[in-house]
Amino acid sequence: MDKELFEIKAMEHLTGAASAADTALFESFLDKNPEYKEKFSELKRSWTLLGQLDAPQPSAQMDDSFFTMLSNAIQKNKKEESKNMFAGLFGWFKPQFAFGALFLMVGLGVGYFLASNEEKSSNQVVARDKETEAVRQKLILTLLEQPSANQRLQGVGEANKIVAVDEIVIKALLKTLNYDANVNVSLAAVESLTNYVENPLVRQGLVQAIQNQESPIMQITLANLMVALQEKASIEPFKQLLENQELDTTVKKKIKNSIESII
Amino acid sequence: MLKVKNGDLDKLGLLYERHKKKLFGFFYNLGNNPSISEDLVQNVFMRMLQYRNSYSGEGAFGAWMFKMARNANYDFHKKTLQTGVLRSTSEIQIKDPIEDRLNEEIEREDNNALLQKALEKLPKGKRELLVLAKYKGLKFSELAQIIGCSEGAAKVRVHRALKELRIIFLELEIG
Repeated sequence: MDKELFEIKAMEHLTGAASAADTALFESFLDKNPEYKEKFSELKRSWTLLGQLDAPQPSAQMDDSFFTMLSNAIQKNKKEESKNMFAGLFGWFKPQFAFGALFLMVGLGVGYFLASNEEKSSNQVVARDKETEAVRQKLILTLLEQPSANQRLQGVGEANKIVAVDEIVIKALLKTLNYDANVNVSLAAVESLTNYVENPLVRQGLVQAIQNQESPIMQITLANLMVALQEKASIEPFKQLLENQELDTTVKKKIKNSIESII
Repeated sequence: MLKVKNGDLDKLGLLYERHKKKLFGFFYNLGNNPSISEDLVQNVFMRMLQYRNSYSGEGAFGAWMFKMARNANYDFHKKTLQTGVLRSTSEIQIKDPIEDRLNEEIEREDNNALLQKALEKLPKGKRELLVLAKYKGLKFSELAQIIGCSEGAAKVRVHRALKELRIIFLELEIG
């Protein structure tokens, strides 16, 4: 056992901090080493002597002083608490206010930049949309000229995607409605034009188209549309259509009903 | 102490009642006279109030309290050294043997007086260690926490301080 270990073990033994097994080992070590045993005995005597060290009782004056001090401290604390109730509110909020104000400023700054960027970007979007519509209109016109019915249908479909069509597109659609060889394309054109019935040009075109139609389905579709629009201008063309001897009887009935509905 | 920390200052009274004698004995055995020891006890409790927010609740309260007591004692003696005021030690408490007192008691008192003298002759840090370790019955783990070392180192340091005390005591005894 080296010196330091002996010092540690001796202290553990003296203070009763050693376990039973350690105590037994230490005592057996002391028995085998008289020199250490003597050292330990001396140490024990000193420890015992130290234990005899006592101190007088503190005076009652110490208690008085302490409780006076404590009472003053409690009163002071209460005063501070009540005084700080209002100020404490601000004290408590102060850092939050400071941070709040800071974040508000930053937020306003960021908001301002974002808003101006957004404005710019919305302008850009509008410009881009305009460009897209212009391209789309050209595409519609091109597609409607194509010999393939599918492509012409595609052209009508593209027209449906435009929010505000111009006169050229309307005329192209009316042309398709009146002269397209394929009924499906003509039907698609009617459907597309119904999106712009508020436009007088469209209404007028639709009324004029009545007389040009030979397909019963087209005639019925237009009759239904005119009833829905309550377009009185369509009565005369329908009457003229009724004069046609080759007109389908079902269509005739339908047109007669439509005229009555419009009147 | 946590209650005191949370604003229930009345509870400091309970702590005072529980620990006042230990603290008084600690200061007294470090060589302060009873009056100064009482002042220092008061000082420790004032510090507890003042620094109550620094008490985390971790570790033993005793270790925290005696750490504060050490600082109070250190500050007091630093101040008296600076002001040139001689501290009056507990030596003045050594009473002359009264004739009709039993010899045993006289011997015990003599030993006690001698021990106080021996303690005074010990370097301050070692004296403090012995008083804390033996008189105050702190565990070595708490002692290590107060003086800021490992538990093993605390045991070694107490052992060596005790040996040194014995040598001084024997020297005084021989005269």
